[in-house]
Amino acid sequence: METKNDQLLSDCAPYVRFAKLDELLSLSRANSLWPLTFGLACCAIEMMAAGAARFDLARFGAEVFRPSPRQADVMIVAGTINKKMAEAVKTLYDQMPEPKWVIAMGNCAISGGPFVFPGQYAVIEGVDKLFPVDVFIPGCPPRPEALIEGILKLEEKLTGKRRWPVAKTEPAK
Amino acid sequence: MGTENQPNPPATGQTPNAPVAGLPASQKAEAAPAVPAPVALPNPLAHLPHPFQGVDYLLKGYHVEATVEPDQVVAAAGHLSEEGFALDTITGVDWLAQGQMEVVYDYFHPTRNLRAVVRTRIPRDNPLITTISTVFPGANWHERETHDFFGIQFQGHPNLTPFLLPEDATYHPLRKDFTT
Amino acid sequence: MIAGESKLAAEVLGARAPQVGEVPSASGRETFVINLGPQHPATHGVLRVKLEMDGEYVVRAEPVCGYIHRMHEKMGENRTYAQFLPNTSRIDYLSAMTYTHAFVGAVERGLKLQVPPRAEYIRVITSELNRISSHLVWWGAFLLDLGGFTPLLYAFDDRELILDLLEGICGARLTYCYYRIGGLYNDVDDTFIEGTRAFIAHFRPRLKMYRQLVTENVIFRKRLLGIGPISAEMCRRYGATGPVIRGSGVAYDVRRLEPYSVYPQFDFEIPTFSESDSMARYLVRMEEMAQSLRIIEQALDKLPAGPVMAEKVPRVLKLPAGDYCYAVEAARGRFMVRLVSDNKEIPYRVKLRTPCLSNLSLYEEASRGMLLPDALALMGSLDLVIPDIDR
Repeated sequence: METKNDQLLSDCAPYVRFAKLDELLSLSRANSLWPLTFGLACCAIEMMAAGAARFDLARFGAEVFRPSPRQADVMIVAGTINKKMAEAVKTLYDQMPEPKWVIAMGNCAISGGPFVFPGQYAVIEGVDKLFPVDVFIPGCPPRPEALIEGILKLEEKLTGKRRWPVAKTEPAK
Repeated sequence: MGTENQPNPPATGQTPNAPVAGLPASQKAEAAPAVPAPVALPNPLAHLPHPFQGVDYLLKGYHVEATVEPDQVVAAAGHLSEEGFALDTITGVDWLAQGQMEVVYDYFHPTRNLRAVVRTRIPRDNPLITTISTVFPGANWHERETHDFFGIQFQGHPNLTPFLLPEDATYHPLRKDFTT
Repeated sequence: MIAGESKLAAEVLGARAPQVGEVPSASGRETFVINLGPQHPATHGVLRVKLEMDGEYVVRAEPVCGYIHRMHEKMGENRTYAQFLPNTSRIDYLSAMTYTHAFVGAVERGLKLQVPPRAEYIRVITSELNRISSHLVWWGAFLLDLGGFTPLLYAFDDRELILDLLEGICGARLTYCYYRIGGLYNDVDDTFIEGTRAFIAHFRPRLKMYRQLVTENVIFRKRLLGIGPISAEMCRRYGATGPVIRGSGVAYDVRRLEPYSVYPQFDFEIPTFSESDSMARYLVRMEEMAQSLRIIEQALDKLPAGPVMAEKVPRVLKLPAGDYCYAVEAARGRFMVRLVSDNKEIPYRVKLRTPCLSNLSLYEEASRGMLLPDALALMGSLDLVIPDIDR
C-alpha cells in the first residue's frame, strides 16, 4: 500500500505541489508587492529610476505603483517627513488595507537624515516614530539597487527565505 | 546705515543718503552725504525719487541699492515696476543686537543687466510694514514667508496666514531668539 | 478644449471666489472644493492644491505649500560655509550642480577668490549636463501626467548615461557635492571627457526621435496648444523666470543677462517662443537641451589644463561683514543665494531665492476657468520641484 502511494506521489511530483496556504499566500504577496507612489523628496527620483528601464522593478513584480493607498501593499516612504505632512502620512498608512508593509527609504525616513540639528523645528526624525517600519534602506539617496535589495529583504521577511542570490563581493586584494 | 552689522547703531531716524556699501572703510566713517564717491559706480536709477546708489556688482551681486524709510517701500516698488523691474524676492534679517528687523526687497530686470535692492529697517518689537502686493502680486507669497520666519506684519496683505509652517504655527523660527 | 470657447467657461471666468454661505458663480451654480495632494502622482512632490470647482472647471486653485519644508535657511545659520554644501544639492535635487554653483559663487564673491579656469569650464560642463538630466526627468514626468508612460522610460534611460558620467567624477548620482569653495575637489579624467563626447553623439539623434514621436504627435499637440496662456506682464509681476518667461516671449536668461562663470565665452542661443502657452514652454525646454549640448561641446574643446582648486583658500572661511548675492540659471529658472555675513565662520543669514516659488505663485491667476486636466497640464509645464518652493 505504502509503495503504491509513494509511487503515486513521485509520479505526481513534477506536476503537483503541496504546501501550506499561508506559504502560498506569502509567496504570491512577495511576488507582487504593489507600492504606493509616495515619493516626497530626492529619494523619489531614485525610486522612479528603480522602476525605470535600467534597474527595472518589474522583474520583481513591484513595478505597479498605485496612487491610491487602498490598492497598495507596501508604502515606500521616500523622503523627509515634516510635521505638517505627518498627519497626511498617518492617514495614508491607515487607509492601506492589511496586510501592509512599510519600507523606510533613505536617511530622512530612517532618522530625519541630514536635516536634524539642535533646534530643528520641522522634521520628524524617522517615519518609525509614526508607525512600524519593516525595512530600512540607508543612503542619501540610496541607489536604485539598494531599493531593490530592500524589496528583496521584505520578500525574505514575507516568505522566510531569500529567493534571489546575494551579490558576491570580491575580497579586497 | 548700510548693510553691515554696526556695533553702535544710530539712535534716531535713518538718513536716506547713507554711505555707499562698496566704499573702503575710511570713507564710511564720514556720514557727509555730499562727499562724491572716489570710484564712479554707475547709477542708472538716479532719476528716481529714492536714494539709489551704485554698488560694486562684482563684489555684491547687485548694481544699485537704496535704504528707505518703511513708508517708502510701496512707492519704491511702484517706481521700479514702472521702470520694468520684476520682483526677485523679499526677505528679512533679524538684527537682534540692534533691536531692528531689516526687510530686503530684491528686484531684477527682465531685459537689462540691472539688479536693484531696496532695504528698510523696522523696530523688532513692533515689526509693521505695508505690503507691496498691490504693486507686485508676486509679493503675496514672499511676504507670507517672511511673516512665517520673522513675524513681520505686512499691513494690507490679503492673506497673512502661515505659508511654509503648519497652519496653526505661532512661532517664527528664523528670529535669533527662537528656541524650540 | 480651450478654456474660453464655451459659454459655460465664460460664465466661470467671470465668477469671483465665493464667500462661505453665498450663492457662488454668476450662473447660480454651486461650487465644491476638492483637494489635490499632498500625495498625488501629478504634483511632483508634496504640493497641496485646494481646487474650487464648478463641475470640471477650476474656479480657484490655491496652492498650499510647506509639506516638505526642511529648514534650509535655518540650517544655513547653524553650519559653516563648507558644511552647508550638502544642503545646496537637496534644495532642488534635479539640478543640484547649479544650486551648489550659486552658493560657492556667492562665497567666492565675498572672499574675492579667483577660481582656476579649468574648474570654471568643468563647472559649466557639469552644470549643463545636469540641466539636460533635469529636463529629461521633467519631460518624462510631464508626459506621464498627460497620460503617456513610454517617454518616461526613454528619458530615464538617457539620464542614466549622464548619471554614469557624473558618478565617475564625484561618486554621487543625484545629490552631488562636487564643487568646493575655490574650485572643485576632484579633476575630471579622460573617461569623463570621452564619455561626454560619446553621450553628445548618442543624445542628438534621440532628441530628433523625441521630436518625431512626441512633439509632432497630434494628441500631444491638442493637449498643449493654446493651453494655459501666461503673458510676459504676468511673468514680470510674479517674478517668474526660466522657461516660463522664455515661453512668453522674453529672452531672460541669467547666463546671458547677468553673465557668470565662463558662459560669455560660449556661443549658444536662448530659445524663446512668444506663443505663451504650455506648448511654448515645452519647446523652450526641448530646445534648451540641444543648446546645452552645444555648450558642452565647446567647453570640451576649449578645456584648459591646470589646477582645479584655487591656491589660497583660507582654512577658516569668514566673509567680511555685508551681504553678497550670486544668481545662476538653474533648470527651472533664476536661482539666487543671498548671504548676509557678520564676519563669523557661520553666515548670519542665508536666503535662497528659488525659481519654483515665483513660478507657482502665478498659478492661481493663470488657472482660473480652466478644465481640470488642462490645469494639470499647465502645472506640469511650469516644471515644479516642491522642495524648491518649501526649502
